[in-house]
Amino acid sequence: MPSKVLISDPTLRDGNHAVKHQLTEKQIARYAAAAEAAGVPIVEVGHGNGLGASSLQVGESAVDDLTMLKAARRELLNSKLGIHVMPGFATINKDIKRAIEIGVDVFRIGAHCTEADITQRHIGFVRDKGKEVFGVLMMSHMVTKEILAEEASKMESYGAEGVVIMDSAGAYLPRDVGGRIAELVKRLQVPVGFHGHNNLGMAVANSLAAVEAGATIVDGTARGFGAGAGNTPLEVLVAVLEKMGYSTGINLYKMLDAADLAEKELMPSVPSIKSVSIVSGLAGVFSGFAKHVERISGEYGVDSRDLFFELGRRKVVAGQEDLILEAAMDLASQKKKAPAETS
Amino acid sequence: MKSSYVMDIIQEDCANASRQAELLEALRGETIFITGGTGFVGVWFCELVAHLNDQHGFGTQLLLLSGRAQSFSAKAPHLAMRKDVTLIERDVRSLLDIPKEASWIIHAAGSPDNRLAASDPLRVAQVITRGTETVLDAATRLPNLKKFLNISSGLVYGAQPLERERIPEGYSGGLDCASVSGIYAESKRFAETLCVAYRSQHRLPVVTARPFAFIGPYQLLDRPWAVNNFIRDGLLGGPIRILGDGQTVRSYMYPSDMVFWLLRILAAGIPGQSYNVGSPHGVTLQQLAEKVAACFPAPPKILSRLSPEQALHRSRFVPDVRLAEETLGLRLTVDLENALRRTILWNQAQNKLMRVEKAR
Repeated sequence: MPSKVLISDPTLRDGNHAVKHQLTEKQIARYAAAAEAAGVPIVEVGHGNGLGASSLQVGESAVDDLTMLKAARRELLNSKLGIHVMPGFATINKDIKRAIEIGVDVFRIGAHCTEADITQRHIGFVRDKGKEVFGVLMMSHMVTKEILAEEASKMESYGAEGVVIMDSAGAYLPRDVGGRIAELVKRLQVPVGFHGHNNLGMAVANSLAAVEAGATIVDGTARGFGAGAGNTPLEVLVAVLEKMGYSTGINLYKMLDAADLAEKELMPSVPSIKSVSIVSGLAGVFSGFAKHVERISGEYGVDSRDLFFELGRRKVVAGQEDLILEAAMDLASQKKKAPAETS
Repeated sequence: MKSSYVMDIIQEDCANASRQAELLEALRGETIFITGGTGFVGVWFCELVAHLNDQHGFGTQLLLLSGRAQSFSAKAPHLAMRKDVTLIERDVRSLLDIPKEASWIIHAAGSPDNRLAASDPLRVAQVITRGTETVLDAATRLPNLKKFLNISSGLVYGAQPLERERIPEGYSGGLDCASVSGIYAESKRFAETLCVAYRSQHRLPVVTARPFAFIGPYQLLDRPWAVNNFIRDGLLGGPIRILGDGQTVRSYMYPSDMVFWLLRILAAGIPGQSYNVGSPHGVTLQQLAEKVAACFPAPPKILSRLSPEQALHRSRFVPDVRLAEETLGLRLTVDLENALRRTILWNQAQNKLMRVEKAR
């Protein structure tokens, strides 16, 4: 059983989703200082979708990448500064080179769970520059553990020093996580990690299942500040890991202080599990779809919950928002037909 | 032109390796056709043969087949412009004929880069299996073929049992054919079987070399192998990061020794025989990282990410090379410390050269 767990804290990145990417320079500096004081090993900062993602399409951030990263960098002495990078949003020349100059320590290169191939150049570039780089597989519930392990192996072969699987839709139960993590630990030589979301209230339990199956990297955010129903609440995770005999190197009292500060200074409201989050978690659909689903289901007179489940059946992923409309139209036409057939 | 310091290192290496040039006498005045001629192994063949021609009057001609002949001119212009080197640009899978003047063949095409194997396993398999079949076929039509050297891989043995110190040529382990990560080794193993079939059916004089691991100039430091990464980390000022288990054991041969051995196997190896090529001196990754760190005036820190689970992935990859040593009179001339030191010097000189060229 591993005794040490490396915590990566994306409060200032995933949390940005919860406030439509409006975290300010001051807020970033305040929380980064609190995380540094608590001894959080990696503090992830940026737009919710990562480096270079601020745009009309996915939302413009209040401050640019450079300002955010510099604000955090000034506060982080022992904690490492991390960023999330999705090839497509972030480019090597425009974004990654600048991030290296600013002093980012840890690069987490993410891709949809079947698309690891697109991370090769980004991972290779960061390794070449001597920086720490992890691979991240998003929406990992959508494929079997065998496919996940193959995709993770690709990232390892490109030079990733660890591979983190994300439960982006908050769809997992602990047994799902345990099986997948165990397969990755068996197949990879580099450390394996887990990033949870709390749609079904399982984030802490899933994180524990991951650790017990051999994961040595776990993500968590203060008060679960993050997209949709939120992430794994870090202060709870640290407390539970400590109780179970794992060491995180984080000072619990100071972590509790950091969570209090985050609640007060970063969040208009603490994340909670809304009905829509439960449905998107059950359907296995990225919770970022929620607002579109609400609007379109209203326009077509269909139940938003039915629409979520239909999208789940169609296995939609972020970037396929146009399918919401198509699915809503199909549901609406089925609804029209149904009374005629029974009459 | 390359800076003289970069070239001095290579020239010294070639001079050192060819102290027993008489072992390659059979290749004097001959024409050698090399597939994969512009990769790491191909470039070193060129360097050594150029040295044998210039310093020992060998008069050997090289025909280099490559799908990326133009990149060779950029990588090694001093070789590309030589009269005794001819570049032929063509994908090995679509080779029709080998020039008739070739009487020796070295089949070296195929990339061992596991990033390519992970992203495009079908391409890896096709280049090795179809490529080998195509070259063997073309070889049957040569009027005066003296020897065909198939460069296979030490990976065809499958996982080396941890308790077995070195793998001899007669060892037959199992490969994992149910995993896509085995594509390179499986393809190389099948290519060897194809060679056996062509030797049996067409009486082709095929000899096989099974290379293990190497470190030296011309090897790109972004290749996903431990020693390359350690050197790169060191050149960047550290820390040197050990991924996986530091107790994993590897051994490394310097490339001037590698090509001398391969040419000797071509010249004097017995058809039907396979020869391991590599260093028999195993070193743990932890020891290797320490040796790399010691090459720098201010040794960088060494970090390890070892967790108990990773002990499961401990592996060993060390050849028994007594067959080559005892029957072909081969020996190692560069030990690991010198190999690392020379690789680092070459990379430092090369980086400096690139910076100067960029500034122009």
